[in-house]
Amino acid sequence: MSAQRNGYTPLKQQLRGPDIVVAPGCFDAFSAMMVARAGFSTAYVTGASIAYTRLGMPDIGLVSMNEVAQTVSLIAERVEIPLIVDGDTGYGNALNVRRTVRLFEASGAAAIQLEDQTFPKRCGHLKGKSVVPTGEMVGKIKAACDARRSSDFLVVARTDAIAVNGYDDAIERAERFVAAGADVLFIEAPESEQQQRDMCARFKGRAPLLANMVEGGATPLKNAKELQSLGYGLVIFPGGLFRAYSHMATEYFATLKRDGTTNAFRNRMYDFKQINELLETDKVLAQGGQYDAKNFS
Amino acid sequence: MIVRAGFEAAYVSGGSIAYTKHGMPDIGLVSMNEVATAISLIAERNDVPLIVDADTGYGNALNVRRTVRLFEASGAAAVQLEDQTFPKRCGHLKGKTVVPTGEMVGKIKAACDARRSADTLIVARSDAIGVEGYAATIERAERYVEAGADVLFLEAPETEQQQRDMCARFKGRAPLIANMVEGGATPLRSATELEALGYGIVIFPGGLFRAYSFLATEYLAALKRDGSADAFRERTYDFKQLNQLLGTEAILADGTRYDAEHFR
Repeated sequence: MSAQRNGYTPLKQQLRGPDIVVAPGCFDAFSAMMVARAGFSTAYVTGASIAYTRLGMPDIGLVSMNEVAQTVSLIAERVEIPLIVDGDTGYGNALNVRRTVRLFEASGAAAIQLEDQTFPKRCGHLKGKSVVPTGEMVGKIKAACDARRSSDFLVVARTDAIAVNGYDDAIERAERFVAAGADVLFIEAPESEQQQRDMCARFKGRAPLLANMVEGGATPLKNAKELQSLGYGLVIFPGGLFRAYSHMATEYFATLKRDGTTNAFRNRMYDFKQINELLETDKVLAQGGQYDAKNFS
Repeated sequence: MIVRAGFEAAYVSGGSIAYTKHGMPDIGLVSMNEVATAISLIAERNDVPLIVDADTGYGNALNVRRTVRLFEASGAAAVQLEDQTFPKRCGHLKGKTVVPTGEMVGKIKAACDARRSADTLIVARSDAIGVEGYAATIERAERYVEAGADVLFLEAPETEQQQRDMCARFKGRAPLIANMVEGGATPLRSATELEALGYGIVIFPGGLFRAYSFLATEYLAALKRDGSADAFRERTYDFKQLNQLLGTEAILADGTRYDAEHFR
């Protein structure tokens, strides 16, 4: 499943290219379609936005493995671009990680991201997170690499140790994670540009680094070009779409409550025809028409 | 978000589930169990009554029976069933067809028999106006009420006269639902105007998705162009606002009530 998908460059190959890979966050088939439509070559399936939208809950480790797998599966049913999937802590120990990798890979993920937080995790930018010992996380990364069916399936190792144990420990962890087989490094919440440059330089040629752009988070915000010049190979914008959506939804429902109609919002809404263009309704129905009984009588 | 805005009921839209979870048009591709999962997640988090779009009940009267049991157990307060052929398509798309009246009457009876609580309402929807005309639709609606339907949803009336007429006819027997589809066949009105026409319920099923998809196009175009979401900053919640909205602090505080330290 993680191998070639129609018309898109595999993630491994994208990461070898000269340009930073930009992966916006998505959380269902529609948002992933919109990411592909906007011209992005990779999407990031964000655990936080799945918690926000499906459960209406914060990102504190409440979403189960199977709920994420179902989401991935519905996305992969509809889009071809490679999906980097947030696997949180792998939902338990190394054996849980093994199940998670097998399931997410079969569901259509091109890469899984695993982090060294204790289980249940919490959003990297919330207070009170804690990390497992380095050796435990190394075991989980080894389990992930052993479990994948295809070597094109990538393992992204994330450490949350900067905020807990400091920068040096995070770098030591990252070294061990790469030695254990991690394909991509995600060193969460660096506190200065110097740290960012340093970590990118250190792992250059060994593992591309992933930058996480969280609006209002601990890391200074930069655009994709600036991050590329710092040395990053990949940048995710996981929550931006949900933040804009929730802001809009507040306004939309306030309008509907006040007016008893959506008229005041009409210039910010697609009409019925536009929606069906977006969803390719005519194309889908025509595809169905190819299989009509009349063609086979 | 609906509860927060002060509404007292929500409509779980099959169209928007197809659009968001599946990225597909509303043409009957979403399965019973996928809708049940959606209801269950909504009901886990919210106390507001949910009117759930069950399309055709995903098959015949026996399928309807399963659907009603499952949706009720998942947290639905009302189940809406329509008289389209299976698989259905959005009432405002071309090419829809309806099942014979007797078949739909059987499905409504099955739905009423299947519910565990008399408080679970059965909404009978007819798509016949666009197929068989207004008079035939009213005949169907009479039969549906007689079979036990609690609420009537006569889709896509073409004039205000039809709207007034249908509301007057069923007054005191079954409240009518108005469906406000922006760009659809029915003239758009406000809730107050619809109340004056005699409607008991109005749904605005697709509006949020339409505004969301419009916004998503703009947001991702900006991100693609700029390599950052800076241009959108004043139209997004920041991390703190987001967590206020989700009630993060209250949930974490609630969790600490069960901390081991209290139970030594």
